[in-house]
Amino acid sequence: MNIFLRELKANLKSLLIWGGIVILFVVMGMAKFSAYAGNPEMLAILDDLPPAVLAAFNLNAFNLTTITGFFGVMYTYFALLLSIAAAMWGSDIITKEERDKTVEFALALPVTRGRLVTAKTLATLVNCIGLLFITWGAALATAAQYQPDSEFYRFLALCMLALFIVQMIFLAVGIFLGCAMRRYKQAGSLAVSLLLGTYFLFIISGLSEHLDFLKYFSPFHYFDAGVMLRESRLDMTSVGLSIGIVVVSMIGAYLTYARRDLYI
Amino acid sequence: MSIIEASHLTKTYGKARGIIDVSFQVAEGEIFGFIGPNGAGKSTTIRLFLSLIYPTSGSATIFGKDCIKYGPELRQEIGYLPSDVFYYEGMKVIDLLTYSASFYNRDCTKRLHELAGIMELDLHRRIDDLSYGNKKKVGIVQGLLHQPKLLFLDEPTAGLDPLMQRKFFQLIRQENQRGVTVFFSSHILGEVQRLCSRVGIIKEGRIAEIADILTLQQNNYKRISVAGDNLDPAYFDMPGVSNLEHNNGTVHFFYKGDINTIMRKIGGITLSDVTIEEPTLEEIFMHYYE
Repeated sequence: MNIFLRELKANLKSLLIWGGIVILFVVMGMAKFSAYAGNPEMLAILDDLPPAVLAAFNLNAFNLTTITGFFGVMYTYFALLLSIAAAMWGSDIITKEERDKTVEFALALPVTRGRLVTAKTLATLVNCIGLLFITWGAALATAAQYQPDSEFYRFLALCMLALFIVQMIFLAVGIFLGCAMRRYKQAGSLAVSLLLGTYFLFIISGLSEHLDFLKYFSPFHYFDAGVMLRESRLDMTSVGLSIGIVVVSMIGAYLTYARRDLYI
Repeated sequence: MSIIEASHLTKTYGKARGIIDVSFQVAEGEIFGFIGPNGAGKSTTIRLFLSLIYPTSGSATIFGKDCIKYGPELRQEIGYLPSDVFYYEGMKVIDLLTYSASFYNRDCTKRLHELAGIMELDLHRRIDDLSYGNKKKVGIVQGLLHQPKLLFLDEPTAGLDPLMQRKFFQLIRQENQRGVTVFFSSHILGEVQRLCSRVGIIKEGRIAEIADILTLQQNNYKRISVAGDNLDPAYFDMPGVSNLEHNNGTVHFFYKGDINTIMRKIGGITLSDVTIEEPTLEEIFMHYYE
């Protein structure tokens, strides 16, 4: 409990900064939406764009003139933001002990390494949930002026659930990299590179049917906003796959951290 | 019963040497000095005992229990003062100490304040703002506040002013009188000589010698200086003689061996002066490193 509380306190600032970024992003996004809202000419312009461009920006599944459709496009960027935060928090909370050389203090105390990982994981989990609620709150607050229908709220809630799962994937991967890599400086950048890599796979997989198989390698594709909007549910295979990634990463994290030499 | 027992501890970092085949025992209530220059493997050895790193081969027990398997349990009774202390940013001294105390299954509040009083530590300052020496004091209080039965001190006096060093040594002696076993690593021989009853000398990762301080000084070496006219240093060049030096008509050397042999040798020439002394630990130590 003591490690958990200390970490929460130490990470509060980072949560607030990320919260600020997300709120700014939502406000700017919604400001753009005011240009699209109920504007059929915009649709005509979009229809004239080449299909590949639309695919790249994930624009083809949505009617951008409705708040629901617009949010569907925004979803991908939320996923990107929130998962970057999760991956960085995850790797950082483990590696910072070695970076700041506090690990010698932290693990000379009568704690198991497993307990340290658990407490830190829970602290970052709270941060992720906090950021998710900030995102949710900001979306609700800015969308209110367009009097969205109940479909929007349902879709938003589903998106938040999907975002949560994507956060968990990258949090777990971040924690795993933080635990596994002795060269702590590279854990954070590797986590984010991996994340951006899978994001580009997601974009590429949308460009051509031949590249469709790539989508299994990208958590961003697991919960496609277009599918969620049409079917109002999460893809269960993807949920299963996500849980699998989280479980394997966390097992890997505990095992490697317990067995490796600390870098002092 | 041995409090610490290392048997054939070896630690390599890839191809780099850590320590090689280190074995020794430390008995209950002992102050064991562990000496060697920087990079000899002192900190590596201590970190192995604390299972911060794991041995490549060999094993170590503390209080008779394997120090990896029972690490967390053993650390309830271990105090550790690392050579460099690093603490979390943005914490006050008292926050850090209470945080540290919260891990032990006993109430440490009283001892915490006692120790802070002895070390003249201001509990309400931010650790980031403290000087190196004051951080070290935080480390001392933090390492002792749970009244451990075993102390690992890794070059503990670096950064402390002489007055604080004296207080610190007093504190360690008091702890020792309470029955606390102390493992004292240092490259400053004077302080080891003052505090420890037995020493291990580590050289390039290997144990060069383990002995009582007294035996180390008495039984092995004599420092002999002879003065006289027209002395030829080569006269003393015989088995057991080392560090033969000649200056201003005086010949200095170390001798190890039968004392009668060297006495007869000295008796064979005319001298104006002779001194035979115990070498300081420093000189013995230098000898191991040549």
